[in-house]
Amino acid sequence: MATIAADERSPGAVGPGPDGPRTGRNRAGRKLKLRNTLIGWSFILPNFIGFAVLTLIPVFALFYVSFTNWNVFGAAQWTGLDNYTRLFGDASFQKALFNTFYYSVFHIPLTLAASLGLALLLNRKLRGVAFFRTVAFFPYITSVVAIAVVWNMLFSPEFGPINQFLRAIGIDNPPGWTTSATWAMPAVILVSVWREMGYYMLLLLAGLQTVPAQLYEAARMDGANAWQRFWNVTLPGLRPTMFFVTVMLTIQSFKIFDLILVMTNGGPGQSTLVLSQYIYQKGFVENQFGYASAVSVALFAICLVVTIIQFIANKRRES
Amino acid sequence: MKRKTPVLIGMTAALALTLTACSGDDGGSDTPPAAEGPVTLTLAGWSLSSTPEFQTLADAFNEENPDVTVEVQEYAAGDDYDTQMTADLAAGTAPDVYVLKNLKNFFTYQSGGQLLDVSEVTGALDPSTGGLDAYEADGASYAVPYRQDSWVLYYNQDMFDEAGVDQPDGSWTWDDYEQAANDLTDGLEGDARGTYQHSWQSTVQGFALAQSGGALDTADYGYLEPFYDRVLDLQDSGAQVDFGTITTNSLTYQAEFGTQKAAMLPMGSWYVATLIAQQASGEADEFAWGLAPIPQVDSSTTGTDATPVTFGDPTGLGINAGIDEEKIQAAQDFLAFAAGEGGANALAEIGITPALLGDDVVDTYFGLEGMPTDDLTRFAFSTHETLPENPVGASTAIVQNILGDLHSAVMSESTSVADAISEAEARAANEAGIS
Repeated sequence: MATIAADERSPGAVGPGPDGPRTGRNRAGRKLKLRNTLIGWSFILPNFIGFAVLTLIPVFALFYVSFTNWNVFGAAQWTGLDNYTRLFGDASFQKALFNTFYYSVFHIPLTLAASLGLALLLNRKLRGVAFFRTVAFFPYITSVVAIAVVWNMLFSPEFGPINQFLRAIGIDNPPGWTTSATWAMPAVILVSVWREMGYYMLLLLAGLQTVPAQLYEAARMDGANAWQRFWNVTLPGLRPTMFFVTVMLTIQSFKIFDLILVMTNGGPGQSTLVLSQYIYQKGFVENQFGYASAVSVALFAICLVVTIIQFIANKRRES
Repeated sequence: MKRKTPVLIGMTAALALTLTACSGDDGGSDTPPAAEGPVTLTLAGWSLSSTPEFQTLADAFNEENPDVTVEVQEYAAGDDYDTQMTADLAAGTAPDVYVLKNLKNFFTYQSGGQLLDVSEVTGALDPSTGGLDAYEADGASYAVPYRQDSWVLYYNQDMFDEAGVDQPDGSWTWDDYEQAANDLTDGLEGDARGTYQHSWQSTVQGFALAQSGGALDTADYGYLEPFYDRVLDLQDSGAQVDFGTITTNSLTYQAEFGTQKAAMLPMGSWYVATLIAQQASGEADEFAWGLAPIPQVDSSTTGTDATPVTFGDPTGLGINAGIDEEKIQAAQDFLAFAAGEGGANALAEIGITPALLGDDVVDTYFGLEGMPTDDLTRFAFSTHETLPENPVGASTAIVQNILGDLHSAVMSESTSVADAISEAEARAANEAGIS
């Protein structure tokens, strides 16, 4: 074989030129590679087209629109940084920004604690565990409008069951909940924690099942009590899931919209106005799409920065 | 290769969609050649199953003009109507003729070049048509009003008698109204109250704007104060259910007045048809009711020999600027019909308040079964100066949002009236650029 190969490679030989056989193999390989690539692309293309048309291109358009004064009809006029400088003097934007942080600062840890508690509770052999898991997940799949209507009734200051209960246990001046500028935000936070804890519980449950049982056994052998086992085995084992949950939860909190829109519509006054709702108002109600886009870019930047910080923190903890 | 076929189909479809969506042509300036033969116009409407006015107009027009068929296209109800219409207009897929639900968004459509100049149609209409001049801009007219609701006072005659309170006689100021509301609450048994003002900002601000000569685009909203003081008093005395209960329990004005939980209800004239229908179906109780002119600020506009001032936006029809040229004539004919005598009669027959209130039309309206026939009701329905709730202007939508926040802050008693007003004024200056 070697001789033949050498012969074939010798100059002037009839047949395929130098590197003949390898080229043949390469051509076939390249063809296969191209074929595989095309097949690969054709698998993701339907999804990618949808993503590009409905998400990617609009996002790029958003950045462009945020530098214009576009009002839906007609051409957009380039206004440079006007929209962004306007943000700094806009008290309503600042109010919405503050309220968004107010909501997130309470909503994230409370949901995390509630869903982790539920997950730990329902991660054991318990009679009817599937039933309880379903119950905990139920709020998440219930229509947000129905949730808002029912909770609003529960929160009703005069006749709502919550305040009737509070009065019964001796609180004479129960809060006005969604009808009071002070209590509307706590009420919304409460409902959203209740609504979302089931979903994050599910993610954490999945995470809990990946923590190896041997570790618990070893910890027990070493005489670790329940608290120590939780702190030194469960939590470190859950770290990847926790990271995912925290990132998702943070982004979800920053862009909270539907629940607030139907529960309080930002009120009373501007007490529960959040950024997404402000974007909706400026854009779809007042037709100031340029300015609304600038607010969206601000929201995007906030989400991005917070997520980057979380990534860095996670990396650091990992090493 | 087979695997790529669906992708190709998908891409072709996407391309085709994109191309057709962009093919909206702009209306030419030449005199439109009228189409030969049958024409089909499209008309926007909402909640078609419960809002028969669009189909009624379409059918009535088709009867007179067999060559023109009007097809009604369903759009979202409520505030979403304008959102959806805006999107369709921008995409060039909106119907030939569309409804201007209120005046708030007229400015956006008109300044955005989405409405055809219909001055010719407007010029030929009866000048007494309500809301005719609301659609003027730059010396031209861009829509015609076919419907003009205005706010009146509904009252339950049985409950007035039961409480021993004198029924309204057309001479009421807001002080008389407040007094009556308190007297009714005291005189009525059970938890029935004197009056019900719904949670909308217009139930306070609409009257304040129309009756005290205020304006939205001045950043001076002090005129709201006496109106809010009165409503808060009513709320505190229990003559009116409080704002928090309305919003948290999703109370409806139809149920509050229809099931006799309140003896009075300031509301738009659109509720007449609903009330009649609900009394017939049993959804509302059987009781004698009537309409009275809305209470006035002072006695200069009260009494049946004066013209009471109230508010209400006309509902208009405009022609999409992107309409096919050969359809323009038919669309203009439709507008003239809808805003004229023919449309007005057809609407009055189904209990809708037309913009043109001739004697014939009022007779048709009062011929409805279940309609009260006393003189005061007739007076309240047909005589009033109706000022717009949303005077047309660039800042109207923004200011109404700001005043909406003021409304919920004041009504929930989270903020004092004076503080809320100065906050709204500051915001109007900042967000709408009004100084």
